[in-house]
Amino acid sequence: MASSPWPLPADAPSAADLSRCVHCGLCINACPTFAVTGLEAESPRGRIALARAVDEGVIPLTAAVQSHWDLCLQCRACEAVCPSGVAYGRIIEHVKAQVAAAPAKDAAPRRLRRFLLRNVVARPRVLAAVVAPARWWAGSLPRRALRKSGAKWLPSRLAAMEAQLPRHPGRPLRAGDSLPVPGEASTEAVLFTGCVMGELFGGVHRATASVLARRGVRAIAVEGQGCCGALHAHDGDLAFARDLARRNIDALPGDDPIIVNSAGCGAAMKEYGQLLHADPRYADRAAAFAARVRDFSEFVAALDTPAAGHFPARVAYQDACHLAHAQRIREQPRALLRAIAGCDLVETPGADLCCGAAGIYSLVEPGMSAALRTRKADAFRDSAPDVIVTANPGCQMQYEAAVREAGIDARVMHLAEALDEAERRAPRA
Amino acid sequence: MTTRRELVARLAAICGAPNVVWRREDLLVYEYDGTIERKQPYAVVFPADASETAAVVRLCNELGMPVTPRGAGTGLSGGSVPTRRGVVIGTSRMRRILEIDPANRIAVVEPGLPNIQLSEAAAAHGLFYAPDPSSQKACTIGGNVAENAGGPHCLALGVTQNHVLGLEVVTAGGDITWLGGRVPDAFGYDLRGAFIGSEGTLGIVTKVVCRLVPLPASVVTLLAIFDTVQEASATVSAIIAAGMIPAAMEMMDRLTLQAAEAGLRCGYPADAGAVLLLELDGLPEVVGPQAASARAECLERGATEVREARSAGERELLWKGRKGAIGALGWIAPNYYILDGVVPRSKLVDVMASVSAISDAHGLQCANVFHAGDGNLHPLILFDERVPGAKDRVLAAGAEIMRACVEAGGSLSGEHGIGYEKQRFMPWLYSETDLEHMGRIRAVFGNEGDFNPCKLLPAGTGCGEMAHQEQALRAAGPDAYV
Ligand SMILES: Cc1cc2nc3c(=O)[nH]c(=O)nc-3n(C[C@H](O)[C@H](O)[C@H](O)COP(=O)(O)OP(=O)(O)OC[C@H]3O[C@@H](n4cnc5c(N)ncnc54)[C@H](O)[C@@H]3O)c2cc1C
Ligand code: SF4
Ligand code: SF4
Repeated sequence: MASSPWPLPADAPSAADLSRCVHCGLCINACPTFAVTGLEAESPRGRIALARAVDEGVIPLTAAVQSHWDLCLQCRACEAVCPSGVAYGRIIEHVKAQVAAAPAKDAAPRRLRRFLLRNVVARPRVLAAVVAPARWWAGSLPRRALRKSGAKWLPSRLAAMEAQLPRHPGRPLRAGDSLPVPGEASTEAVLFTGCVMGELFGGVHRATASVLARRGVRAIAVEGQGCCGALHAHDGDLAFARDLARRNIDALPGDDPIIVNSAGCGAAMKEYGQLLHADPRYADRAAAFAARVRDFSEFVAALDTPAAGHFPARVAYQDACHLAHAQRIREQPRALLRAIAGCDLVETPGADLCCGAAGIYSLVEPGMSAALRTRKADAFRDSAPDVIVTANPGCQMQYEAAVREAGIDARVMHLAEALDEAERRAPRA
Repeated sequence: MTTRRELVARLAAICGAPNVVWRREDLLVYEYDGTIERKQPYAVVFPADASETAAVVRLCNELGMPVTPRGAGTGLSGGSVPTRRGVVIGTSRMRRILEIDPANRIAVVEPGLPNIQLSEAAAAHGLFYAPDPSSQKACTIGGNVAENAGGPHCLALGVTQNHVLGLEVVTAGGDITWLGGRVPDAFGYDLRGAFIGSEGTLGIVTKVVCRLVPLPASVVTLLAIFDTVQEASATVSAIIAAGMIPAAMEMMDRLTLQAAEAGLRCGYPADAGAVLLLELDGLPEVVGPQAASARAECLERGATEVREARSAGERELLWKGRKGAIGALGWIAPNYYILDGVVPRSKLVDVMASVSAISDAHGLQCANVFHAGDGNLHPLILFDERVPGAKDRVLAAGAEIMRACVEAGGSLSGEHGIGYEKQRFMPWLYSETDLEHMGRIRAVFGNEGDFNPCKLLPAGTGCGEMAHQEQALRAAGPDAYV
């Protein structure tokens, strides 16, 4: 057999996946990076063509080629509209694994990124220690004062990160912590706690548990579970992502549904079967695990309980890419919001276009990320919502920054928080 | 003689360095459109407006450099593939809607605007832009003008020719001029008409005045299911003979249905032999009875079932399947070669039989999805270009199918254009004198042979052997002569 053009042949994108693309071009306008640049090389069709050219030995895997894949948000909007069923998400994950393994100009930052993802994000205790000061700062008085003064006091990259911090981070909620149980529970479900989610968005977990409890479902933050591995897979570290997947599969046995309120984690976990398909010990268990995974909105909508609650506000729902495009869940969150008395759901232009958060993308490609955030800010300024609702922690953070950029006074909430607040106001009979 | 480095520098001086693409891997993604043709340009440039476009065209003429306009690259006849390399001029920086004038029902747009965005914007005024190619989410208005694009809803309303009133163009000679205007029926020669459908061989469109039409008051969408393509084809003629002009009448055969269902899950019966997707629109009191008689015609001609979309969502789903059907064939094979013949409706049944006989004889799979109401066939021959010899067999079968269309009294293209792929068939339909006059039109616009060469009209030498020049290409570094 001829030697592979890829540095990590075991995880190379498959020729079958690549040749599925008939270059019809129907996906290009769904792509945020094409919308911003107008360049074919920054479109899904172009990125697939480049992968195919490398795969077929037409061009080498140069840094310039890699840069086009690096600019991909992995939002998978292209995949959702492709009539040919091109598995773009799988292609780009495998391509990124090659990029990560290839010699590169920016090897040092790449190594650092991998180190942090492996040793901070995936280690609950280290992560907690690192996030603690940020959480303190996020809700602090000096921050509010500085914001009022409008002073520019941080270098731009740090400032961008700072602007993303939620205004009222709740207490953390970690695996093993106990959750509120207001009422009689008839069934149980696992609450997936995640990494950053649990540290910065404990309130979302508590809201999730409350909403479920009102529907007779007791959520348990089972101990031993950890980071889902999506950030690692998107960064091309498939080996480590597989380790994390195995850890979660071991930690969460049984057949209770696994409720995920972070769209990115949910999408990754629904694909554990694919991630571990070549692992003889885990392949079957991974597929069974994946079948138990439910997004919060998907699970609650399927319970089909009568509408309750009161939420008098103009609400702009923004699709999380990995909910709308990867999990194809668009209707359920909207239906849940629409059913609440007083909730005026408005559709803003580009609601399903990526906000630019995209995991750690906003740190790695700040320019493109900011361009996409500005599009959201413009849409918010025009439609002036009171509340922006989404379904993913990264997006929530990006919308905090977008709201600030738009100069409007909207709150940013997770769907679970909005439902919980509405139901607290007018508790279910 | 000029080097690639000089060429790029001079293009950058006009449009700005970030708007010139010249690296090898960046050019690679401009070697294709929606077809199987391939060829890389020396450079791609994205002008911001007509005057930058004109400057680029003049520069290329000065250097003797071939020019190829490019919209979204969804074309199905190789039109935006730079057959003789040279410079590709992309329109993706010109994609604004400049004006919507609801009182006069017109819009002025830039050429790179994706087709669908015009209808989306016009909907706020109760209007839409009628030509709706199945590729409308991606293809550009400029590309539509160049190909005289049609779409499912052009059966009653007509194709791009009927919906474009005026054009600002940069001619092949590098002049900026207006053809037509904001009102229909301008006096003098109808150069606007000559330009629409000229496939980028006369110049580059830089502004388009589009006609908008009111959204219909009511719509009925029917899906009629048949066991055979023959029954479905016969029904098409019967419906027209009964005096109805549906807004759309589309046919899909079994293979297409299977692909569409696999890829788009739109609720098509994957075991049917063929379906007709019919749409009737207008005032409710007219549409209701029409839909009833269309349904009756279908049932009488052998339809096993006729479904009706009961909501906007269901209608959208039925159309999603049709509009994605061609792309969905990727589920079945990695490549398709799409043909675009037109035959008189009365010959539909015969020609469909020839199409399947020809593809069988070549051992090829062929899917069919087409604008049945117009007799506009789209046989799609499925193959894998990586199999040695496959492409040659496909091209041979394609030529025989086109021949069958012409012999049935039809023509070579309904809407995808002649492009590179079919120019060699032009003499089947046109005499030497016909072709000579067409050639003279090019000269009128200043095209001396280098403006989108090898397209539309049968070309001389230098246009052959496209896809197979990788070697030469690899040798061409930045300092090679171009
Ligand atoms: C899945 C699929 C379905 C399709 N369905 C239909 C259909 O239903 N009906 C239909 O008519 N077509 C259809 N097409 C074909 C194609 O979408 C149309 O021909 C479309 O008009 C091409 O537009 P484009 O922007 O992609 O142009 P391109 O492919 O980039 O170019 C097409 C031609 O136009 C020229 N051109 C582009 N822009 C300009 C300009 N500004 N000035 C002058 N010349 C220009 C190019 O040189 C080239 O010759 C389909 C294609 C696909 C892939
Ligand atoms: S990814 Fe799908 S939609 Fe995009 S060009 Fe390829 S086949 Fe077409
Ligand atoms: S994943 Fe998103 S950014 Fe990447 S190619 Fe697809 S649409 Fe574009």
